[in-house]
Amino acid sequence: MARPNNGNTSRMDDLLASVTSDLLTDTPQAFADNAIRVERILLEMVRPDPVQPRRVLPEHIHVAFHNNRATPTQALRELVQTVQIAARQRGRPFNNVLELLPNADDEREEETTTALSPEETLLRDLVNLAMTIRDDGQVNPLTVVDVSQGVTRLFRIETGERRYWATWLLRDFIPGYTGDGMIPCIVIPAARSSVFRQAKENTARSGLTAVALARQAALLLLTVHGYEIPAYAVGNDFFRQALDLDLRAKREYTELVLSAMGGIKKAQFSLIKSLLSLSDEALELADRHGIEEYKLRYVVATPSEYHAEVVRQIIDFNLSAKQIRELCQGESFDEAVSSDADKLSPAALKMAKVTQTIHATTPQELARALMQQEGDAAVARARLQAMRKLLGETERYLSSD
Amino acid sequence: MTRAFVFTNHKGGVGKSTSATNIALGMVNVLRRAGSANPRVLIIDTDSQGHASLVTTGRKDYGADDSLYTVLMADRANAPQTLMNCIVQSQWDADLHVLPASPMLEGAERELMGVAGAPYRLADPLSKVANQYAAIIIDTRPSFSLMTEMGLLAATDAIVPVEPRYLETVGLTSVIQKINDIREGWRHPNLRVSGLLVTKMDTRVRGHNHLLAELKAHPVLGKLLLGVIPQNEAVSYAHRDHQSLFTYDPRASASKAYVQVVASLVRYLSQAGA
Repeated sequence: MARPNNGNTSRMDDLLASVTSDLLTDTPQAFADNAIRVERILLEMVRPDPVQPRRVLPEHIHVAFHNNRATPTQALRELVQTVQIAARQRGRPFNNVLELLPNADDEREEETTTALSPEETLLRDLVNLAMTIRDDGQVNPLTVVDVSQGVTRLFRIETGERRYWATWLLRDFIPGYTGDGMIPCIVIPAARSSVFRQAKENTARSGLTAVALARQAALLLLTVHGYEIPAYAVGNDFFRQALDLDLRAKREYTELVLSAMGGIKKAQFSLIKSLLSLSDEALELADRHGIEEYKLRYVVATPSEYHAEVVRQIIDFNLSAKQIRELCQGESFDEAVSSDADKLSPAALKMAKVTQTIHATTPQELARALMQQEGDAAVARARLQAMRKLLGETERYLSSD
Repeated sequence: MTRAFVFTNHKGGVGKSTSATNIALGMVNVLRRAGSANPRVLIIDTDSQGHASLVTTGRKDYGADDSLYTVLMADRANAPQTLMNCIVQSQWDADLHVLPASPMLEGAERELMGVAGAPYRLADPLSKVANQYAAIIIDTRPSFSLMTEMGLLAATDAIVPVEPRYLETVGLTSVIQKINDIREGWRHPNLRVSGLLVTKMDTRVRGHNHLLAELKAHPVLGKLLLGVIPQNEAVSYAHRDHQSLFTYDPRASASKAYVQVVASLVRYLSQAGA
């Protein structure tokens, strides 16, 4: 039996040769603090803005993350698990996030896409972005504000939160990441950080929801009125303070604010801002499902206890603005709509059909079916109340006709 | 600027705590004899096992109100004062102070994992009180955890104790790489690897001699070689009695070797303007 060669030092030579003076003596780049610069920054040193009106993650994950109850990886794991549950319920379970990406060979792709939940769409888009970063690199740097205090180095994202989450996703959930944990960022000194620039960046993008716009409007109003914008996660009540404020008291900022909001008119600004009076649940639902302002403005006029239910109806039945107005104001449909059966929504036709089969079931059966569908007695009762209201309005319409 | 030396290696049992505590005491004595106006040295124990705290203060029951854990959990504004409140005098010397560890540090890592700026929770308050000490010695746990990152970010000089064995030397390269990553990634340009400390050297073992020769001959690592501490039973007995090696047996070979290391470090401090 051959003895190990104790005198063989080649392994050690190779090993020690890997230690060079670069590892020990090089000083990292020194930067001037008063200039805008592009740097590669460790992901852990970058944090999303907790009061950014445009939310990337669902509300509960956003709050957990910004209240330091979840690391970026834990927040993403929560998102992945949420999406896994939603996807399983819709009959397309997945184990790896890469399975969310469109498959060119799958002929059912079109019909699948239409049925994606908001969380599925979000995760799929993040995975897509992560793959682009993996394959092509991070071409577009994030914009971050240097919010370092003392020796604590920290950078707050002004724009590019989706790229931040996509990079974390790539690092921790997608195989093949070969980066060094850094992300390229344009660094803006804290003194030059601007809520107006962030607003312009947000409004310049497509896909900004009405609720995000409302938060954006509130943030601008609060800023010009001298409110301190906190550096931690805030609830909707913080933004609702803007409901008592307007631009009349700050005429010198009117143009700047409206311009940052995408060049909208004052009346539109007011409508957008008023969305903040929606209940918390309604705001979250509307934000997740991207419901437009022209639909939500009718919901605002109803008592707050109905907000969430009406928004849910808008989502479930894909109601048009006119239908929502009818639902919320109790007025009849326009003749042009009601006279033309072909223009009726599939949801309305489906409900009309249900009235013909009312004797085919019992209250107990219906109650059980509702429980199975909703999983909660309170929600089931809310559904019935909303339906009762709808039926009452329908009856009134029929009798006036 | 007060130099802060962090003793780190993700391998356990290489003599981090022994070296940190004895070198800290040695520094106090050398500085005092040299007539320094401020010979005080602070040991910060970031290892939840608390061995450095135990041997220097005779206690290991520090908890939520009187340990490093308290500092890490304090509000940013109160953290420097909290740090000062938690520092205790060692039993070894009035000028040797200790910020003790607590078993609760294990939990602190979990609690702080998602917190923005968590790795700076030691460096930030320490930067405000460091000028009260001639030097700071940070003992780390044998792993690259958040707590070790905190130690490295609070330090200016990393000293890597290493046993003269093949696998330990393999680990040495990854330790140096990790320190480099921390320096580059966390924007801490003042951190540098200032020394390698060969510990538990047994001149009767051919492999030890061979590896020491390799290290000495290396163009970079050879220059970093701070000292060679021989394997010595006196170390274990000193620990058992909660005494420093210098007190337990000043004539022990390890004591003499540590004196050499202390002399080098104090020379380094004076050159650095401390």
